[in-house]
Amino acid sequence: MALFSMLGARDPGATPLPRLFARGGLALVIGAYTIYTLGPFLWLASMSVRTTGEISLDHYAWPSPFHWEQFRIAWVDSNFATYFWNSTLVVVGAVAVVTLVGAAAAHALARYRFKGNRLIYAVLFSSIIFPPQITLISLYQILVDYNLYNSLLGLTLVYISLQLPLTVYLLEGFFARIPQDLFDAAKMDGYGDIEIFRRIVLPIGMPAIATTLILNFIQLWNEFLFAVVLITDPDKRTLPIGIRAFMGDHFQDIGMIAAGVMISVVPVILAYIFFSEKLIRGMTAGAVK
Amino acid sequence: MSVVILDKLCKRYGTSQYAVDHVDLHIRDGEFMVLLGPSGCGKSTTLRMVAGLETISAGTLSIDGRVVNNVAAKDRDIAMVFQSYALYPHMSVGENLAFGLRRRKVNAAEIERRVKEAADILGLGALLARKPSALSGGQRQRVALGRAMVREPMVFLFDEPLSNLDAALRVNTRNELIKQHHRLGSTMIYVTHDQVEAMTMGTRICVMNGGKVAQIGAPLEVYWEPADTFVARFLGSPPMNLFTAPLRGGPDGFLLDEGPFHAPLIRWSAAALAPYADRKITFGVRAEDLHLDPAAAGEGLRGRIRGKAFAIEPLGAETLVVLETPLGECTARLPRNVTVRPGDEVDLAFAASAAYLFDVETGRAIPGERTAQGALAAARGLQ
Repeated sequence: MALFSMLGARDPGATPLPRLFARGGLALVIGAYTIYTLGPFLWLASMSVRTTGEISLDHYAWPSPFHWEQFRIAWVDSNFATYFWNSTLVVVGAVAVVTLVGAAAAHALARYRFKGNRLIYAVLFSSIIFPPQITLISLYQILVDYNLYNSLLGLTLVYISLQLPLTVYLLEGFFARIPQDLFDAAKMDGYGDIEIFRRIVLPIGMPAIATTLILNFIQLWNEFLFAVVLITDPDKRTLPIGIRAFMGDHFQDIGMIAAGVMISVVPVILAYIFFSEKLIRGMTAGAVK
Repeated sequence: MSVVILDKLCKRYGTSQYAVDHVDLHIRDGEFMVLLGPSGCGKSTTLRMVAGLETISAGTLSIDGRVVNNVAAKDRDIAMVFQSYALYPHMSVGENLAFGLRRRKVNAAEIERRVKEAADILGLGALLARKPSALSGGQRQRVALGRAMVREPMVFLFDEPLSNLDAALRVNTRNELIKQHHRLGSTMIYVTHDQVEAMTMGTRICVMNGGKVAQIGAPLEVYWEPADTFVARFLGSPPMNLFTAPLRGGPDGFLLDEGPFHAPLIRWSAAALAPYADRKITFGVRAEDLHLDPAAAGEGLRGRIRGKAFAIEPLGAETLVVLETPLGECTARLPRNVTVRPGDEVDLAFAASAAYLFDVETGRAIPGERTAQGALAAARGLQ
């Protein structure tokens, strides 16, 4: 110890005070942020097992008793099973097509030199810049013209067109970083372009693909504006519009809205848990070697 | 038989200059041909054209008598080892080795046999289940080599495969490659910018410069009989000393005699030098042919050069001494115990037979009798 003091060096056994403060401060910030983000969710969860009357009396009270039947009422009596199925059909279909077509397009833009390559890229990029709402009226008209208005297929196509540019943009950036030598090696090993895409690009690009997959899934699962404009039939509603049905002009059934939101949030959480590791790898790709 | 013939092979991107300019190269069966040159000289482009990864702008490429200009890479029966190893990161070592065979519908038992054989030869047996990210640079390079070997191709191509390895590993892997070439006896084409790799590995070297072939020959033949000043400077470390001086006629024939520099020219006939009389000419002498002790330069006619030492570079086994002379810098490779100090005036001697002459304008070597080493190297190269 004396020797360390004499040399002006740190005692390796002791934790320096500034570092302790830094760690404490970091824990404080993370804790505060967790409460800030988790708080509303827990509040919503508590409201989902309380009736609207109980909520009106005390917004923040602990549920007593737990009204689990609210979930049954939402699922069975309020048609949430249908909304859930509609949402699943539209979103899974759109995400699947967006992922496959987006990955193929991104691969083509990243790897092949052809005339107009950068022009296509610029057009795709420009469509990301503009807010999608400006296309709403023209999309409505197109769907009416093609008898796709008020149909799940029409909504799926709209969702595909909404998410495809960003997906291509994100994946192109990732795919362009896959070394050319891997493609050349696969060619020498006897593989053609489609096989190389399937056996090399897709597996290597999986972190990026998972990232776009989950981002698209969350965004479309929660999408309200296009669904509310393009779907009017109650049997074809998606979950966000279904939840909206609990809101009247004069009365809002907060308890049932909370139960509906809890039902709708489950797939998002499941998707996130399933893909979270790949999502993080995709987001930090290139940051660390 | 795997003979590769490049006949006036060209590569041009758009309307730009030729990246590969009418390359003629006849690679014999079982030969280890090294394409050597600085970066941008067209050696890798040439290799990629042979591989089928670049289209051929003009000329003919044939393998075993079959013109393959328009044959896809996968159908040329060629395997390639890349500088970056190009191992598939999502596959294990075993899967990397078997990937090419699976595509070729080789049966499972045969795939297993070949993978095991390659793994045993290259010491990869314990690593077959590992992913490339869990391997060292040397191990990755061995996997890349194994992937080429299991294919049992007609021709192996190597694109600077040792560049990413550290110095010690490079020597080991170099020896491993030489060993595998002897074992397989296959035709191999190897691209490098490293003259040591070229000299130690190649059956023959093709030195390239500016997209063109500068010289083709056995390593020592190219070293001792350079075709031009580019080859003379590119091969050899330190590079050949070159000076420009006027060629003068004397009572005993032509010589270069400029201030502290004197060189009798005995390798060339009077007729060969007559066109250069009283014109400037480029003179060359290798660093290892310069000696402090005139006796070490041999019994015959000697030349001399005098200059002031300004840099002494002790390398352990020898010492490089750099002199400043009126004709330019001159580097000598001298014994390790040399006592020269910076600022010393140094007299160096060389055997007149060790001199080289080049045309000042074209840089081409002026043909004369072979140097003793050149004659020996040429004889070995022809065996």
